[in-house]
Amino acid sequence: MKKLYTLALLCALALAAAVAAVPSTGAANESNASGPTIGAVIEEFKLPDADGKEHTLSSLKGKNGVALIFISVQCPVSNAYNERMEKLAQEYKAKGVNVVGINSNVAETPAAVKEHAAAKGLTFTVLKDPGNKIADRLGAEVTPEAYFLDASNKLIYRGRIDNSRNGDSISSTELRDAIEATLGGKPVQKAEAKAFGCSIKRAS
Amino acid sequence: MRKLLTLVVLFACAAFVNHAGGVRARAQNAPPPKGGPVKKEGAQKKVPSAPSPTTQAAKPKVTELKEAGLKSLFEASVARKRPLLINFWATWCVPCRAEFPDLVQIREQFAADRLDFVTISLDDASEIESSVPDFLKEVRGDAMPAFLLNADDPEVAINMLDTTWRGELPATFLFDQTGVVVYKHKGRVKPDELAAVIEKTLGAKE
Repeated sequence: MKKLYTLALLCALALAAAVAAVPSTGAANESNASGPTIGAVIEEFKLPDADGKEHTLSSLKGKNGVALIFISVQCPVSNAYNERMEKLAQEYKAKGVNVVGINSNVAETPAAVKEHAAAKGLTFTVLKDPGNKIADRLGAEVTPEAYFLDASNKLIYRGRIDNSRNGDSISSTELRDAIEATLGGKPVQKAEAKAFGCSIKRAS
Repeated sequence: MRKLLTLVVLFACAAFVNHAGGVRARAQNAPPPKGGPVKKEGAQKKVPSAPSPTTQAAKPKVTELKEAGLKSLFEASVARKRPLLINFWATWCVPCRAEFPDLVQIREQFAADRLDFVTISLDDASEIESSVPDFLKEVRGDAMPAFLLNADDPEVAINMLDTTWRGELPATFLFDQTGVVVYKHKGRVKPDELAAVIEKTLGAKE
């Protein structure tokens, strides 16, 4: 019994320590990452694809929304998701949600983007974001990073596609869950989720 | 925010209970070399077994970390009253590879008994005995204790360091002797800038 009390006491101490530690290690007082907050409406934008053809957000959006995914030609993390992104695109096209890739890396040319999409079998539209304007506007820092907008361009979800980079141990599929919830008219359980990835190389 | 707090608290509890045992065990031993007294995480866990290479001598040791192990790194440095420098990197991250020699130089500039410096790889756990130590060997990256974070949920680990961090690599953080973050940098570090912050942090102690 006494042991139990000690344990409880230790835990309480740990709790106090953790609460005290939050502002230091977690930098909790800072304003959150840049970019729109969940629920914000994303304004219309226009970007060229790898062939130079201009597309607007509204022209690419499905009737139930759009998943914008910042991707990369070279990043191994982004590339690990090629098949999963293509599968999402195929699957949700019929349900009125389009997947659109955005390449904001300064060193990755439209030609490289086109070649990469062909080589990896990506059939969804991939936009080139010259001067990383849209990455800046959306606060995207990493590839791959997804932004799911509903039919009214409201930001519903921001972050990783799922929790497992190599796809071996997928235990949460946040992007898919957010799309499903929205299609089903339900609230999204997790509106943001992060993962390690390659930084977007911006124009300096 | 509340959710985050709960998570942190849960971790603290787990880490604390875990740690309590670790501290006792450590107390009986001589101080660990190079300030890396974090007990091996996931030792009992199934780590993808790579065939042990017998042809090469002394590959750098890379220790697997889980979220709780990451937390105990902070605690260990605070207990030693030393600043802690952490660099997050991966073999697949080009700028990370490019900055590694700068980091090794930073390690050489400051005495190991004044500054704790660890590197944490975000490579796949299956690389823990292959590409990660191979690269470290190549760049003399074994000058600092090397870990590989095999987090169940990367987000927990990311938020433990910095809630504004989106997880892009490389990322470097310096915590002072009391565990307060005094420097955070995403992308390649500027060695002079980092060295100056370390100097300042070490100076503030005296």
